[in-house]
Amino acid sequence: MKKLLIATALAVFAACGGDFAADREINIISREEGSGTRGAFVEMLGIEVTDADGTRDLTAPQAEIANGTNMVITAVSGNQHAISYISLGTLNNDVRTVNIDGVAATTENVLNGSYPLFRTFELAVQDDLSAAAAEFIDFILSAEGQNIAAERGYITVYPNPPSYTASGESGTVVVVGSTSVAPLMERLIEAFQAVNANITVQMQISGSSAGITAAINGTADIGMTSRPLRETEAEQVNSVHIANDGLVVIVNNDNPLENLTQDEVRRIFIGEIDRWGHFLE
Amino acid sequence: MRLTKFIDMLLFSLTKISAVITMLVLFLIIVYILANGIPHLRPSLFAIQHTADNVSMFPALVSTLIIVLLAMSFAVPLGIFTGIYLVEYTKKGSRLVALIRSTTEFLAGIPSIVYGLFGMLFFVEFLGFGFSVLAGAATLSIMVLPLIIRTTEEALKSVPDGYREGSFALGAGKLRTIFRIVLPSAMPGIFAGIILAIGRIIGESAALIFTAGTIPQIPQNPMQSARTLSVHMWALSGEGHNVGEAYATAVILLVVVFAINALSAFVAKRLTQY
Amino acid sequence: MRNFQYFREMAMSRIFLGSAMCSVVAILLIMMFLFVGCLPAISEIGAANFLFGENWTPMNTPPSFGILPMILGSVYITVGAIVIGVPIGIFTAVYLAHLCPPNMYALLKPVVNLLAGIPSVVYGFFGMRLIVPIVRDISQILTGGGTGASILAASLLLGIMILPTVISISESAIRAVPVEYYEGSLALGASQTRSLFFVVVPAAKSGIMASVILGIGRAVGETMAVVMVAGNQAVIPTSLFRGARTLTSNIVLEMGYAAELHREALIATAVVLFAFILLVNIVFTRLVRRRERREK
Repeated sequence: MKKLLIATALAVFAACGGDFAADREINIISREEGSGTRGAFVEMLGIEVTDADGTRDLTAPQAEIANGTNMVITAVSGNQHAISYISLGTLNNDVRTVNIDGVAATTENVLNGSYPLFRTFELAVQDDLSAAAAEFIDFILSAEGQNIAAERGYITVYPNPPSYTASGESGTVVVVGSTSVAPLMERLIEAFQAVNANITVQMQISGSSAGITAAINGTADIGMTSRPLRETEAEQVNSVHIANDGLVVIVNNDNPLENLTQDEVRRIFIGEIDRWGHFLE
Repeated sequence: MRLTKFIDMLLFSLTKISAVITMLVLFLIIVYILANGIPHLRPSLFAIQHTADNVSMFPALVSTLIIVLLAMSFAVPLGIFTGIYLVEYTKKGSRLVALIRSTTEFLAGIPSIVYGLFGMLFFVEFLGFGFSVLAGAATLSIMVLPLIIRTTEEALKSVPDGYREGSFALGAGKLRTIFRIVLPSAMPGIFAGIILAIGRIIGESAALIFTAGTIPQIPQNPMQSARTLSVHMWALSGEGHNVGEAYATAVILLVVVFAINALSAFVAKRLTQY
Repeated sequence: MRNFQYFREMAMSRIFLGSAMCSVVAILLIMMFLFVGCLPAISEIGAANFLFGENWTPMNTPPSFGILPMILGSVYITVGAIVIGVPIGIFTAVYLAHLCPPNMYALLKPVVNLLAGIPSVVYGFFGMRLIVPIVRDISQILTGGGTGASILAASLLLGIMILPTVISISESAIRAVPVEYYEGSLALGASQTRSLFFVVVPAAKSGIMASVILGIGRAVGETMAVVMVAGNQAVIPTSLFRGARTLTSNIVLEMGYAAELHREALIATAVVLFAFILLVNIVFTRLVRRRERREK
């Protein structure tokens, strides 16, 4: 019995440690519909098409759906043949990135505009914003707020933000929305609370679309979104651009692939290219 | 004859093998949690205030306790009373009993996510509780009610009729018999049900995300949002920043569940002695 | 004095009755709110298109809401979990109740209780890191592809997750069988195993059935763990090694994003889940009742 167990364990480990096999199918791992990360990704790469019949997301139906960055990284780091995408700010050593059109995915390259894949972090707000919420947004757009974003690896979009002085407002601000924006927002809230003890900022994490909806129907003062507002949404709320976030295409550390063009990424994700052998021999 | 011997052997070894598999799997999971979580345990995880840097689980720990207590204060009396009604007060074959029994069984089978959606539609939106500890606890108390009813019922049934008859013969009324004689001897079984229920509440995350929200704070009143340890784990692991801390939270969860189990075993033992 | 006592007895019996009615009220409320919540969606999409539609593309314009893939996904994964978890659970319950040495019992019982309290998120991590890679290797060897996040992985994980439920309830059901049954059978010359499996276990049948129903309920209703290991593709599953999306995952994946028709469609998904559980319950109670009648 024991021997059998050991033999099975060995066999499993042997299978795991094998060389990268290029003839295998590409395992696409995508995010759930409605996720800001997916929304931005499919829109930028033309995986989502709009024509006379409406708008369709063409992501291959066999793509595995992971509902969170952690799941994406776990799935790609454990699977030699997987490909997926995450935010640049959440990248770690468990997976490696692929250059897009020959440009490496680094913060500098996103800043200088040579790296093509990035998305915007925006806040959805109503016209009649409460004084406390306006104060918080002033803070986010100030030098202090933007510094926090830069420290966390996000790309700031305003060249010379003004510095911030607390005006002594009080009240409660409810922030709802994107899981991708939440880690940044959490830091912003803490720094803001440190200088503004009279304003309480509460954050609920749900998702980009839920955040925008909450801002529209007034259940939240501020909605966080990691994708641009749709036309119907933009008619009902304003958006405040707070930072950019690079999107990186990731593969397993054993995968020797160095570069993909944007069109190749698109064709992989809609299922047109389904073997690694297309790129590697 | 040889065939029956063979079947005997087969069943016997299947039993042994199943027990071994269960044991292995169970220990594997526990070892897995401990191995991944203990290296990440550090004092700052228990800071009073949660920040993005320390990702303290202390507020979540307190919120878990509050939600468990609140939910049990609804569910335990209701569940035990229902059990008493079903076992002590009804005649065999009553329509009403059949109705209650089948609804209880049905309630027990409803997935927690359905409870979550119901809680969101009813407590959060219709009754206007908002994302709050109260909405979460109310939803969970309905969720665990059938478990408590069922175990109470089984425990009461297993009390020999002789106890009841003896008590009646000595002139005790029905209520006195139930509360002084039947209930105490059924206590260990009822406790087992309560423990199972607490376990389910501690382990629940899907239903709470839609009802109690996700704010990592110690709630000042029942109308505020809070997250339990399970929800805390889910929130920590989502974006991939704090996976280690999520495992550390799992270790604490294990300790909490273990402590509750040990405590209940102790209490049950004291009760049976009495 | 006697009057007071009578009054107390009456009052308490009313309170007991009232408590008992609570679960009936709860069920009615749940049904009312879910049905009202999903009616707009059903009337707009059409019940047949919703139940038998093969495409789920809620974010497209025009969107398409068909949940047949999720219904099948839930059925396959649940059946898998039951096939794996129920026999092991019942056998282990028999072992715990009758064959287990006391010191072993003192070790195993707390562990089973402990596992009942572990959050499904933790099981999900465990499945994602340990079960999925193993299934992936098997699937790469057998089919030359697959990510491991599949029906098989989900069934294995759920099979494990329902163990504590099945074991605890079956064990107490088996223990509740009067010891005279067992001893009587032994006295008639039956072996220990034979007495257990042909006398004691059948006598505990209704309790064991209840444990299986609860197990099915847990498997069908499990959400957070399944999302992590099942792959979640909203397509009709074609193989054990391919992914599938369950009804529960469909809700938890998209509820955070959903608004209007999409949200109502997700509530309607919950109603289908609800109906599914109802069906399982009815079928099982019928089965048990019919067999009981036949035995009489």
